[in-house]
Amino acid sequence: MRMRTVEISVGAFVLAGLIALVLLAIQVSGVSLTQSEQSYSITARFDDIAGLRPRAKVSMAGVTIGRVRDIAVDMEWGDAIVTMEIFGEPGSLTTDTGAKILTEGILGARYVGLLPGGDDEKLGAGDEITETQGALVLENLIGDFLTSLGD
Amino acid sequence: MRFLAWLEALGRAALLWVNAMRGLPRWSDVKLVGRQIYNVGFLSLIIIVLSAFSIGAVLALQFYTQLARFGAEDAVGLGLALVVLRELGPVVTALLFAGRAGSALTAEIGLMKTTEQLSSMEMMGVDPLHRIVAPRIWAGIISVPILTLIFNIVAIYGGALVAVDWLGADPGGFWSGMQDVVQLWEDLGKGMIKSVVFAVLVTWVAVFQGYDSPPTAEGMSMATTRTVVISSVLILAADFLLTLVLYGDF
Amino acid sequence: MSDNLIEISHLTFFRGERAIFDDISLSIPRGKITAIMGPSGTGKTTLLRIIGGQLRPDRGRVLVNGTDVCRMDRHQLFAFRRNLGMLFQSSALFTDLSVFENVAFPMRVHTKLGEETIRDIVLMKLNAVGLRGARDLSPAELSGGMARRVALARAISLDPDLIMYDEPFTGQDPIAMGVLVGLIKQLNQALGTTSLLVSHDIHETVSIADQIFILADGRVIGAGTPEELRASPSPRVQQFMHGLPDGPVPFHYPADDIAFDIMGDQQAGRSA
Repeated sequence: MRMRTVEISVGAFVLAGLIALVLLAIQVSGVSLTQSEQSYSITARFDDIAGLRPRAKVSMAGVTIGRVRDIAVDMEWGDAIVTMEIFGEPGSLTTDTGAKILTEGILGARYVGLLPGGDDEKLGAGDEITETQGALVLENLIGDFLTSLGD
Repeated sequence: MRFLAWLEALGRAALLWVNAMRGLPRWSDVKLVGRQIYNVGFLSLIIIVLSAFSIGAVLALQFYTQLARFGAEDAVGLGLALVVLRELGPVVTALLFAGRAGSALTAEIGLMKTTEQLSSMEMMGVDPLHRIVAPRIWAGIISVPILTLIFNIVAIYGGALVAVDWLGADPGGFWSGMQDVVQLWEDLGKGMIKSVVFAVLVTWVAVFQGYDSPPTAEGMSMATTRTVVISSVLILAADFLLTLVLYGDF
Repeated sequence: MSDNLIEISHLTFFRGERAIFDDISLSIPRGKITAIMGPSGTGKTTLLRIIGGQLRPDRGRVLVNGTDVCRMDRHQLFAFRRNLGMLFQSSALFTDLSVFENVAFPMRVHTKLGEETIRDIVLMKLNAVGLRGARDLSPAELSGGMARRVALARAISLDPDLIMYDEPFTGQDPIAMGVLVGLIKQLNQALGTTSLLVSHDIHETVSIADQIFILADGRVIGAGTPEELRASPSPRVQQFMHGLPDGPVPFHYPADDIAFDIMGDQQAGRSA
C-alpha cells in the first residue's frame, strides 16, 4: 500500500508537468493546434531597415499577417533584402502592394507594414515587392530639415 | 597545493559521475528512479508552488504599477511571461531544489556511507553507484524540468490573478500581448534547456558531496552546507553562460 | 582443491606512512571457524576489506579458491562477492527497507527467484536467527542485538561459501552475545560455511574458534588452536590471551619520560 501511494504521487507529479507544458504552449505562447501551418515567402528591398530583426511582425491594416524570416544585405546595390513569411495561400496580395518599415509606438520595435494595392495581378511565392519605403531615421530627418532651413 | 586538492576533488566528482551513469538505466531501475522522483520531485512541489505563486504575484504588481504610468498595462502579461519563462522559472526552481532536495540527498548518501550501508552493499556484489547514486541523479534530471514547468504555469497564473482580477488590467490585452510575443521554442524551450543543465549540476554536486564527505557529524554538516552553496553559485554562473549562448545573437 | 579456502601470502599494506600489515602470510581452512584477534588498531577490519576486494594491498597475494582477489577487475569482483557474506560491525542494515526486504535484498539483485520462493527463503533465514516475527519492522525499531541478527540473516541469504564477521560481539549485552556465539557456531556446522571472525573479545572467540591468529604491529605473533595459544611461551601472546594491561604491548603510547615531560613543562613556564 505504501508503494502504491508513491506510484500514484509520481504519476500525478508527471501528469501535472504535462498539463503545465500544454497550458504554457497554448495559453502563454499562443500555439494554436488548429492553425494551418501554410505560408509563403515574398521579398522586398529597402534602402534602410534601421534595426528590423528576424521574427518581427509583418502587418496590414494593423493586423499581423506574417513574420520577417531573413534579412540580408546586397553589397552591389547597397540595400537590404528582407524575406517575409506571409500566412495563408499565395494570391492574397497584389503586385503593387507597398512595404514600409514602421515603428511600434515611439520607441517600440520595428515591423514591416504592407499597404494594399489596386492591381489585378497577385504576388506569388518568392515574388518581390517593388514599392518600398525604408525606415525614417531621426538623424536623417533632422539633417534634411536643417538643409531645408539653410536654403 | 590548494589548487591541486581542488583539482583532485573535481576529478573524483567527474569519475563518480561517469561510473554512476555508465550504461543506460535498465528497465529494472525504473522502480528505484520512481521512488526517488517521489522523494526529490513530488515532495518539493509545495515549496515550488508557493514560491511560484508569490513571485508571479509580486512581479505582476511591480510591472503593473510601473507600466501603468506609461499607459502600457497591456505589456504586463508579456513582461511577466518572458521574465518567468526565460530566467526566474528555471533559476528559482533550481535554487529551491538545491535547498530542499539537494541537501537532503547529500545527507542521505552521507549517512548511508557513515553507517556502512554503501560498504555492505559493495560487499554483497551490488555497486552502490548504480543502485544508490544513479537513480537519484536520474530522478533529479527528470524532476527539475517538471518542477520548472509547474513553477512557470503557477507564476503566470498567479500574476494573472493579481494583474487582471485584482488590479483590473484588461484580460484580453494581458493574454494576447503575451501570446503575441512569447515563442514556444525561443522562450519556453530554451528555458527548459537551462533547467535540465541546472538539474545535472545540482544533483551532481549533491551526490558527490554526500559520497565524498568524511563520515563524521561535522563532515556531514559541512557537506550539506557545501551542497547548497556550491550548487547555488554554479546555477547562477551557468545561467549567465547559458543566457549568453542561447540568447546571445546581439 | 586445497584444504584452505583463503591463502594470504606476503601481504603488505600501508596506510599513509604506517605499515598496517608488514609481510604477513596466513591460510584459512575450509569449513572451519577461524578467528583473527589482536588489539584495536591492528587492522583486523582492514584485512577483511582486503579479502573482500574493497582495498588493494601494496604487495602480496590473496587467493580465494585459487583466484587472486587483488587482480580481479570490477566485474569479476562483484561476481566473486556473491559467494561472500559479511556481517558489519554497525550491522549496516538498509534503513529505507524493512527487515524482510533487507534479507530479501541479495536475492532480489542476484537471482531471478520468484516472489514465493524469496518469501520462503527469507522466512527460513529469519527463523534461523529467531526473528521471523520481526519481519515487518523497520531497522530503526530493532535493538542492537536484533539488528545484528538480521544482518546475519541477510549475510547468509545466498548461502555463501565464506562468511566474514567484523567484531560481531562488540557492544552486545551478555545475552545477545551468547545468542550470537551460538548462531555463528550453528551456522558453521549446519551449512559447512567457512567462517572468518575478527574480534578482540577473547572469551567468546576462544569458545568457538577452531583456529586463531593473533596480529600485532602488522605481524602475526601467534597462530594455532586456542589450546596451543594458551600454552604458548610467547609473552606477547600470553599478555593478550590473559588480558594483562601492561607487558610487551605497552600501556603507554610512545612518549618522552614523564619526569622529563613534566619538569620540562615547568621550566618552560618559569622562563616565560
